Amino acid sequence: MIGLDLGSTRAKMVRVADDAVVARKEVQSPRWRELLEGLDPGEPVATTGYFRKQVPGARSITELTAARWGVAALAPAAQVIIDVGGQDTKVQDLRTNRFVLNDKCSAGTGAFLELVASYFGVPVEELGRLHAEAEAPAEINSTCAVFAMSEMVSQLVGGRSRADVVAGMHRAFARRIAELVPSSGRVVLIGGGARNSGLRAELERVLGAEVEVPKHPEYVNALGAVKYASAASPTE
Amino acid sequence: MATVGITAMVPPELVYGCGQVPVDLNNIAPTSTAVPRGKLCAWTATWRDALLSGRLKVDRLTVVAGGDCHNALADGQRVAMSGIPTHYFFYPFDGDVGYMEDQLRKLVQFLGGVVDQGIIARIATIKALAIELDAARVRGEVPGSVAFNHMIALCDLGGDPDRFEASIRSAVKGQGEASSKARVALVGVPPIYPDFHEVAEGFGLQVVFDELPWEFARCGGRTLGSMAASYATYTFARPLEHRLELLDRELRARRVDGVIHYTQYACHHMLEDDTLRSRLGQPILTVQGDLPRRCPEQEKLRLEAFAELLTGGRAR
Repeated sequence: MIGLDLGSTRAKMVRVADDAVVARKEVQSPRWRELLEGLDPGEPVATTGYFRKQVPGARSITELTAARWGVAALAPAAQVIIDVGGQDTKVQDLRTNRFVLNDKCSAGTGAFLELVASYFGVPVEELGRLHAEAEAPAEINSTCAVFAMSEMVSQLVGGRSRADVVAGMHRAFARRIAELVPSSGRVVLIGGGARNSGLRAELERVLGAEVEVPKHPEYVNALGAVKYASAASPTE
Repeated sequence: MATVGITAMVPPELVYGCGQVPVDLNNIAPTSTAVPRGKLCAWTATWRDALLSGRLKVDRLTVVAGGDCHNALADGQRVAMSGIPTHYFFYPFDGDVGYMEDQLRKLVQFLGGVVDQGIIARIATIKALAIELDAARVRGEVPGSVAFNHMIALCDLGGDPDRFEASIRSAVKGQGEASSKARVALVGVPPIYPDFHEVAEGFGLQVVFDELPWEFARCGGRTLGSMAASYATYTFARPLEHRLELLDRELRARRVDGVIHYTQYACHHMLEDDTLRSRLGQPILTVQGDLPRRCPEQEKLRLEAFAELLTGGRAR
């Protein structure tokens, strides 16, 4: 079965055979059809993400449900899921079935990380490396993405290093997400933002707890879509 | 007949009984395209701006203030300062029936006195039809959207009791069965999105309880004393414990699978969310609206995810 997580920014595909992931692929979301090239058109497809209803004949579920099923397979002890996506951040407490989304403000989303990376002229994947070089994170207080950018510029003007400013941004980002997270519980971080080691470190610091990141965090929801669809239609 | 702008529940039977026509100002908000200036809550700011700009005209105004909506109290005073005769209507926090009766008496005084006892009895029969409609929706004989659209209009009966009665009689007869995967209660203030119930139904969520519109269906009798006894129990104005008792009773009776708590940006009822979550013992989805518009995609995602959660998408 094919699992597609057609997110707002990136589209991810996993192919599952005999209960194991045998292929992974990722492209920019507008090019999501490329993920199906070369695959057997008769193979069942399960989808999730913003573009999930674009695939005819596929079993479609929301990212929240897909995350629950993907995490159940990859991090079964987790009690809280933090999914940092392109346009929103979703937090789920699996103990209470409560979920909250940060989607009215970009300050805690992957889009903000992209904006910051673009400003510094580095790929978003480089933010974690920059963070590791920081001596002391710069103070970024604003919870608004635009004002946070202004603060970052001011810190650079004041002589702080790029690394310190990026680390400060990660800390502010983590504080923003932490407002959505229950005060206790085993936390797993998934989504494209989970690849950012600086964000993970700051989340652990702000939450005062270890944050687990699965090996391929950006593919958890695509896998979850497959798991859900397989459970719903075990004969497929 | 003169028109009286009202903000939420002011006994419509008394307004009609005083020979005037109530106009629930909140009902203009969901379809409004205006962006209010200097707003907190879009519900109150929409009618405030509409009245101040003259886009909406009423002869006088009665603001439901004490015990319910403090934004309405502030916005109502701005309208009063523009010259529209304004009265403030207070519900008793402690449920005191004598206080409630005094408030009803002051309302009648503001409206010039009761001139038509017959309409008061008539409206009681129309409200009884609404209770029938509510029961039909609980049995799955009427879609939640149809029940909601009628019950939310009980505040003013659409300004025309005859037409409203005909519409509600038609609805009670049934408009097709409600199809559902899960039964949910909608608690809190009504959604500012005009298509909220239809969207929820599209995801298989059958709304079998609308808290505030259900409050509007109270049949208060024909005297000020009996009306006071009924209206003094309006839970939205009472201590939260009182409201929780009502919710507990109704959620059990209606066999709900989950609860949607709708909150409005800048509304103090948002502060009650954690308490509702800890006390209601049901899966709860909290939705927060702001400006009126068709249900946004982000809210649709929440509703769809909630429907999946209630119908077996829990993974463990």
